[in-house]
Amino acid sequence: MIQLSYLDYIAAEGKSFLHRLSPKLKIIGMVFVLLAIVTLRNLPGFLLLYGILLALFSLSRIPIKIFSLTFYPLIFAILFIFISGFQIHFILLIFLKVLCGSTGVVLLLATTPYPSIFSVLGRVLPSTFVTALFLTYRSIFILLNIFEETQHALYLRGGFQWRHPWRSLINISNAFGHLIIKGIDASEKMYESMVFRGFQNKIYYRGE
Amino acid sequence: MSHIHLPDGILPVWLWASGFIVAILVGTILLRLTKKEKLTRRLPLIGMMAAVMVLGASVEIVPIAYHVNLTVISGILLGPSLIFLATFVVNVILALFGHGGITVIGLNTLTLSIEGVLGYFLFRLFWKVLKRLTPATFLATFIALLFSTLAMIGVISLGTSHYEKLIHQEGKGIFEFHFSKGKEDHHPGEAAEEKVNLRRFIAIVLPLGFIGWMLEGVITALICRYIYRLRPDLLHLEKETL
Repeated sequence: MIQLSYLDYIAAEGKSFLHRLSPKLKIIGMVFVLLAIVTLRNLPGFLLLYGILLALFSLSRIPIKIFSLTFYPLIFAILFIFISGFQIHFILLIFLKVLCGSTGVVLLLATTPYPSIFSVLGRVLPSTFVTALFLTYRSIFILLNIFEETQHALYLRGGFQWRHPWRSLINISNAFGHLIIKGIDASEKMYESMVFRGFQNKIYYRGE
Repeated sequence: MSHIHLPDGILPVWLWASGFIVAILVGTILLRLTKKEKLTRRLPLIGMMAAVMVLGASVEIVPIAYHVNLTVISGILLGPSLIFLATFVVNVILALFGHGGITVIGLNTLTLSIEGVLGYFLFRLFWKVLKRLTPATFLATFIALLFSTLAMIGVISLGTSHYEKLIHQEGKGIFEFHFSKGKEDHHPGEAAEEKVNLRRFIAIVLPLGFIGWMLEGVITALICRYIYRLRPDLLHLEKETL
């Protein structure tokens, strides 16, 4: 989650052909990737899809550091392999489905600035929902700043120590409580400034 | 643990499509019941609490693949109808980071909102009965998480026949690629081993989940205590002793 701002920077500053492609086309492309994930049932098909996504990843010149994000969902997929009785074919199928989905999503996010994604979604989804989505995305950045400050304060004052697990747990919980209170205060200020700018249940994006 | 971290394409289409339909129906009804002014006014708060849940979900406890959801505390602060919209948003954002598939957003929203809604009502109930904040929050969180995990297991068990198809379909599919290994290579004894083993899955999920419910119960209770000390108005409780 800490890499979110970096991902956003790459999406806005990148110059590859995929960055220049219309957000609408990229979202349609992602829908096709999802359709393939749902309908494909064999390993060679998935290997082909994964190969295409990797080629696009490399062509769009996204830093390799971002690529590690695509492996994160594998942590959860490991749990699901216990259902299968450890069938190699099934495990590979699941892992490839996970990798294709996450690579497609990271590719979309790393080449498309989020206001462009929300702008396209706003045409098909209810405005209240898209506004909530946009505000959540914005709030993540606000909270990340508060979270980093709180984390530094905790470490500097010895608030997190393995030798004192109970005290550490209390301090971590207090940090989350602090984050929530600060977040609620920030949301009230955010609403005031939005009303001041003429907010009426919908956020308008550039070009609308 | 309580929501489904399944990738896309594992659950049968009818299951995830039904999840979307039910989630959209419930969401529409709840939004219609909420006053428009109240909803507009609380949108930044919904966004902020959803962001808190997303941040909580990003802190992974790797050995047990668990992360705190903070859905119960968000449910207590937002109320039962707004928490549904918040969990929907959280699942969309998490799916965009590969944390659960895009097609399972509807099902994830339903299971996760069970936590938020049930947590809210249980917290009110236990607060009335016990009149003590920490045990009321702990019990509400623990029970809400238990129910949402059971709901998740229920959803996964509904797709059993589909998983069996996935296991037994080497070489089949939309594109007819075949491996050199043929169907005749299978021995009769292997069939039993190749069956979907839900018991093993439950045997792994429930003990790990128990650790998670305890941990999240304690964390939520401590967070609630902290909020009560500094901003008791946020919890909408009468002045009572801790």
